[in-house]
Amino acid sequence: MMSDQQIIEGCAKHERKAQQRLYDKYSRFLLGVCLRYASDRAEAEDILQDSFVKIFFNIDEFTGTGSFTGWLRKVAVNTAITYYHKNLKYRYHLEIEEYVSLETGVNSFEDDFFTSDELFKVLNELPAGYRMVFNLYAVEGYHHKEIAAMLGIDINTSKSQYSRARAVLREKLEKLRRLKKQYTSGKEQDIKG
Amino acid sequence: MKVKKRNSEVEQNSEDRILNDLFRHKLENAEVTPSASTGTRLMRRVAMREFLRFNPARVNIWYAGAVAAAGAAIAIILASDPSTENKTTEPEPVEISRDVPVISKSDKIINTGDPENRNTRENKSAREELEIQETAIRNSGNEPIQKMRFDSEGAGKVSIPAAEAMHEVTDMGDRKIRLFAGDGSYMNASVTQGCAPLQVSFRCMAAAYDSCLWRFGDGGHSSAGNPVWLFDIEGEYKVTLTVYSSGMVHNSSVMITVHPKPEARFEVICENNVDSDDEILFRNYSEGAQRFNWDFGDGNGSGVFEPRHKYSRDGNYTVRLIAISEYGCADSMVIENAFTASSCFIEFPNAFIPNPNGPSGGYYSPKSDEASHIFHPVFSGVSDYQLRIFTRRGVMIFESNDINYGWDGYYQGRLCDPGVYVWKVRGNFINSTTFTRMGDVTLIKN
Repeated sequence: MMSDQQIIEGCAKHERKAQQRLYDKYSRFLLGVCLRYASDRAEAEDILQDSFVKIFFNIDEFTGTGSFTGWLRKVAVNTAITYYHKNLKYRYHLEIEEYVSLETGVNSFEDDFFTSDELFKVLNELPAGYRMVFNLYAVEGYHHKEIAAMLGIDINTSKSQYSRARAVLREKLEKLRRLKKQYTSGKEQDIKG
Repeated sequence: MKVKKRNSEVEQNSEDRILNDLFRHKLENAEVTPSASTGTRLMRRVAMREFLRFNPARVNIWYAGAVAAAGAAIAIILASDPSTENKTTEPEPVEISRDVPVISKSDKIINTGDPENRNTRENKSAREELEIQETAIRNSGNEPIQKMRFDSEGAGKVSIPAAEAMHEVTDMGDRKIRLFAGDGSYMNASVTQGCAPLQVSFRCMAAAYDSCLWRFGDGGHSSAGNPVWLFDIEGEYKVTLTVYSSGMVHNSSVMITVHPKPEARFEVICENNVDSDDEILFRNYSEGAQRFNWDFGDGNGSGVFEPRHKYSRDGNYTVRLIAISEYGCADSMVIENAFTASSCFIEFPNAFIPNPNGPSGGYYSPKSDEASHIFHPVFSGVSDYQLRIFTRRGVMIFESNDINYGWDGYYQGRLCDPGVYVWKVRGNFINSTTFTRMGDVTLIKN
């Protein structure tokens, strides 16, 4: 097994083998990142490909300070942002959903209640703009100011999109939980009966 | 929008943190396996980029090769077309009356051309050889499997469920193997070999003992009398049991062999427009398997490594692959409704520029230049189709029932005004789902 250092050096020399190793080692992790920013699996894989092309050709920019995975994640996130901008014009037909009913009764979402697959699905269903802001703020931990600069939007837009994203997510999770409860209680009844 | 109340803001914040934490914990480092073709496509793309990139280190290989090829091409042109060459050179020598040097010059060109020519030919043959070797390697990889396919077809089994294959192994292992070596072993393992993950129940057969210690050979240990251990990584493990009984220590051991579990993986390759009588290629990316059982979901199956299959009818099919390793370990993969998502789509552009030189009738082939002057969809897997285009006032100006005919921007022989037009499309995909789309298209004049 090659170490990260060897892989990086190999990639800097554009060695095919090192690139393959890098892909084998990190593609799963990076697809996880990309899938959060995409609306479906195919889009995520497109972003993944673009990210790897960027990684392979700009690996010199990784200075060696800081973690390598952190750098990879950053490249993937930036690629996702570029992709979002590039495809923005095809997305002017957006469905207008109702967010007015904001259920505040939900106070906790236990970690083990939802699988990561379900969370991915919920994220994928978000409108693209909400998804970008939510991911950058909640998962990546950027500030609204940074997000506004990255996406080329106003700070207040970022804030409002984030809060709307949250509302939609909460509603979707609540729906999902209700569904799952129904399903499990149905199963229990089956067992009893 | 809901107006936030100030007093509930604190509560709201903690709630948000919970929501954010949920996503962060679950997804920040979540791993998703990309489909196998992504990697190969990426590597192809990278190879292309690498090739185009100017790299001083590789000037010797690529650029010398390109120069040699160009030189050879010129030489071939000169050599193969002596008549035209002579014609152009003839007038000059007549005028200057210096035939000899000119001829020698052209001779020289051919001479210098020749070794290069040979070079490239050598290169070419070398490349061909390589290709032959590669295909040979590929073939040799496929051959045993192809042979096996006849075996399995001969047996007339279309699909062996994965469970059945597993069963054979566990059956074999279920014969309780008593291990009483010469000096008397006190251990009993339910299974000594099997597929990963292998669950083995051990029993300590000693009649009376103070304590016992099991070491499972993979770093795990237990002091229970009858432990159950799961070996989830392939390999050979030496399981030792140490029994302590009234000052006596007794060791016994057994080898557990865990065979690697194969991984079944495949993709359905469905190029653009799939007709019902098209052959569909199934790409096999399975690892560690020797035999394959395909179930195409329409009652047919195959044992080939990468089969091609024709479906007699359109529809939703669930494709299943069972990969079986040399030890009989099996893994399966199922793609439900394999011909829905990626293979069936229809998308329309939102603007186009018609040909100003007159109506074309609307027929296009995706490769022709004319296609860019015609409003038409990109699509895959469409069987029935009806496209209608209306003006903003609702007048229908175009209708097509053939997906190969799009709108050329003309109505009654006249080019329509630039502006927005509304389209509506209805039809069926080959998997017998219907689609209805509406949208607008902007006609642009240049």
